[in-house]
Amino acid sequence: MKIVVCMKQVVDLAQLRFKSDGRTPVLEGLPMILSAFEKHALEEAVRIKEAQADVHVIALSAGSTKLKETIKEALAIGADEAALVIDPAIKDTDVSGSSRLLAGAIEAIGEVDLVLTGEGSDDEYSGQIPSRVAARLGWPQITTVRELALAGEKRLRAVRDMENSLEVVECDLPAVVSVTSELNTPRLPPLTAILKAGRKPTQEWTLTELGINADEIGGKAIQIEVLSNLAPEQERKNEMLEGTLEEQIDALLRALEHEGVLA
Amino acid sequence: MAQDDAQSSIEILSLEDKLGRNVFKIDKESPHIVIDHDICRQQCTLRPCLFVCPAHLYTFNDERDEVFVDYEGCLECGTCMIVCEDEALTWHYPRAGYGIQYRFG
Amino acid sequence: MSEKVDVVIVGAGLAGLGAAYHLAEAGLEVLVVERGDYPGSKNVTGGRLYLNPVRPYFPDLLGDERIGEVPFEGRVVKERLTMVAEDASTTVEFQSSRMGEGPMHSATLLRGVFDRWLGDVVSERGAMIVPGYKVDDLVWNEGKVAGILSAGDEVLADVVLAADGALSFIAERAVLRHRLEPKHFAMGIKELIELPPDRVQERFGVQPGQSASHLFFGSLTQGMLGGGFLYTNRESVSLGLVLGMGAMLDKGDVFQAHELMDAFKARPEIQPLIAGGRVVEYSAHAIPESSVNDMPRLVCDGMLLAGDAAGLGLNMGITVRGMDFALASGAIAAKSILEAREDGDFSAQSLARYEVALRDSFVLRDHRTFAAMPSFLENPRLYTLYPEWVSGLLGDVFWIGKSPKESLWRTIWNRVRRLPWISALRDALKVRRL
Repeated sequence: MKIVVCMKQVVDLAQLRFKSDGRTPVLEGLPMILSAFEKHALEEAVRIKEAQADVHVIALSAGSTKLKETIKEALAIGADEAALVIDPAIKDTDVSGSSRLLAGAIEAIGEVDLVLTGEGSDDEYSGQIPSRVAARLGWPQITTVRELALAGEKRLRAVRDMENSLEVVECDLPAVVSVTSELNTPRLPPLTAILKAGRKPTQEWTLTELGINADEIGGKAIQIEVLSNLAPEQERKNEMLEGTLEEQIDALLRALEHEGVLA
Repeated sequence: MAQDDAQSSIEILSLEDKLGRNVFKIDKESPHIVIDHDICRQQCTLRPCLFVCPAHLYTFNDERDEVFVDYEGCLECGTCMIVCEDEALTWHYPRAGYGIQYRFG
Repeated sequence: MSEKVDVVIVGAGLAGLGAAYHLAEAGLEVLVVERGDYPGSKNVTGGRLYLNPVRPYFPDLLGDERIGEVPFEGRVVKERLTMVAEDASTTVEFQSSRMGEGPMHSATLLRGVFDRWLGDVVSERGAMIVPGYKVDDLVWNEGKVAGILSAGDEVLADVVLAADGALSFIAERAVLRHRLEPKHFAMGIKELIELPPDRVQERFGVQPGQSASHLFFGSLTQGMLGGGFLYTNRESVSLGLVLGMGAMLDKGDVFQAHELMDAFKARPEIQPLIAGGRVVEYSAHAIPESSVNDMPRLVCDGMLLAGDAAGLGLNMGITVRGMDFALASGAIAAKSILEAREDGDFSAQSLARYEVALRDSFVLRDHRTFAAMPSFLENPRLYTLYPEWVSGLLGDVFWIGKSPKESLWRTIWNRVRRLPWISALRDALKVRRL
């Protein structure tokens, strides 16, 4: 059985800071990490692999050359190999282009039974990638999965999180499954696993090698254009109350009444 | 005009605000600084931790008669450990992946 | 589980990466374990690196050809020194064409930027840098260091290089050092204050790519060993305060270290330089400042110490160094490891060649030359009496009052007369030993 886990390389949001306007994020020079939801997907794939024989787990990602370092974590966690699409054109693409090249890579890998990924990525969280990849492959898709099990040869059973209820579904493989963080707790790979990760095979493609034209994922193929990316404006009034303590208390009460906080 | 004002003033921040500018990955499970209150009470008279810490994380709790440390804002300089000559502090680096992460340093 | 590599380096700082750079080049399997999220994430510098001493150890990296690729903040072309009195100050400014031309003399940098870059360079050379893992302990085999332990996971190595910084817990595990003593350390506090590049250049009179260095000593440390520093970066200034830990203990419970930083920042000499700036980081770090006479042994069976872990920081009064020693000690450690490997012998006796090489290099020569400096700098008069005296004297010279002005000689003599001559003479004699 061959499982592909689609993993996105994202900036470490814990490191994010804003320019002096308080709204513009500084994105240059941020460390890159693997998106958190996809780590749950990977953990699940590795658990399936550990529970039964003949399971091969491939961590698939696309992006810049930095990926070669970032993906080592996935190999350390337990992926058998990494498949990377590395091309400068990728940084300008959108969900449509990303799904195109992920689907292209999955086809190139061949004979894939299951594609696992997160419900959304840490950075953009559009949540569209799983559906778009499934559509491109023509496979069934199950979303918001919090429990997963194989139900015999080439069949899958999943528990979907519906917020107020749980839905149990089954489908035939191959399929695309997107998971929530309820699914499991991803392991922290030991140091020796990181060492071994460096020795695991990594397959690398450019867009051309996958038979994808740059204009399929860029230029006119871009369906969604990002116009701005700013932190929301903070609607704080920052009124300073002055005077003696009594005066300040009076002013505070008046202000609270004025704002309708106090009747 | 307002802009000129902003540019001629300097930013005097509270320690909370200063620490707020940093990236901390906080380990809620295991504090990396632990105080042995018996040693602290019985042997230490100076309590340098209360005045050397650049983040002023050590405070004295009169009611409990003991020093309290708010390890979450630790800059990991180790000064408290070095000046605590009575060795009332068990101080180690936070677990990997936790603690201060300097962006600039 | 256990794995085996040729060398494990604890800490991806300048000493660790400096060593990994050379070991990887020689084809060894090198593992660098870093507890922070990336190299530099646990480091703080004042900030500047002196390049001339280290260039010979890294000719490819710091030679003329590639120096442009190094992410320095700026080439230091201007040195300022301010003696701070309670409500006055005296500043000396030095610049020379020599510092602005030819091979770079010194540069300002930020560790979060510089170390990450160096980490990438070292990775490209084939070393494996693993951030986000902490070395908890050493693995021993028949009394020799045989590897490291991280979260219960063992990695064995022929030799371990402890480059884990000023607090080196690894050196302690190997009993190469005992309790860290307050008098051997200073504490550095720093604020990184963001300013637009043109404003930095304007205020400090530097061109793009250039930096200014500004050191302060005097009343700002209230008589304690230490001083202030300000280095300019591309779009920020590094402003900070250094306080001797021993001095803080002697001073006692009458100050708050963090308040001294705020007081320094609010001084009229500083305010206009940082006005309108935004604090983007508040950091602190321990600085080793012991004399070479107190230096621990730097090797044991299967292990060496380098950089701050070896106590290689030096306060020379007017200049403060550490990063150059770290880089060079890493390079020297690498060379010693390669030689020991040729001999197939990583015993303390074999690794002692590292200590010899360090002694012969600028690293320990400079430490020996300035061995008397740490105790000289403990003198509180340096921070109170003399700055006040100089400012008082200049105050008298420059001041025109209502009454007729005394002759220049009388003005000076009046001040000279009031110096406590016995202690001043004693201090002057000590200067001769520096």
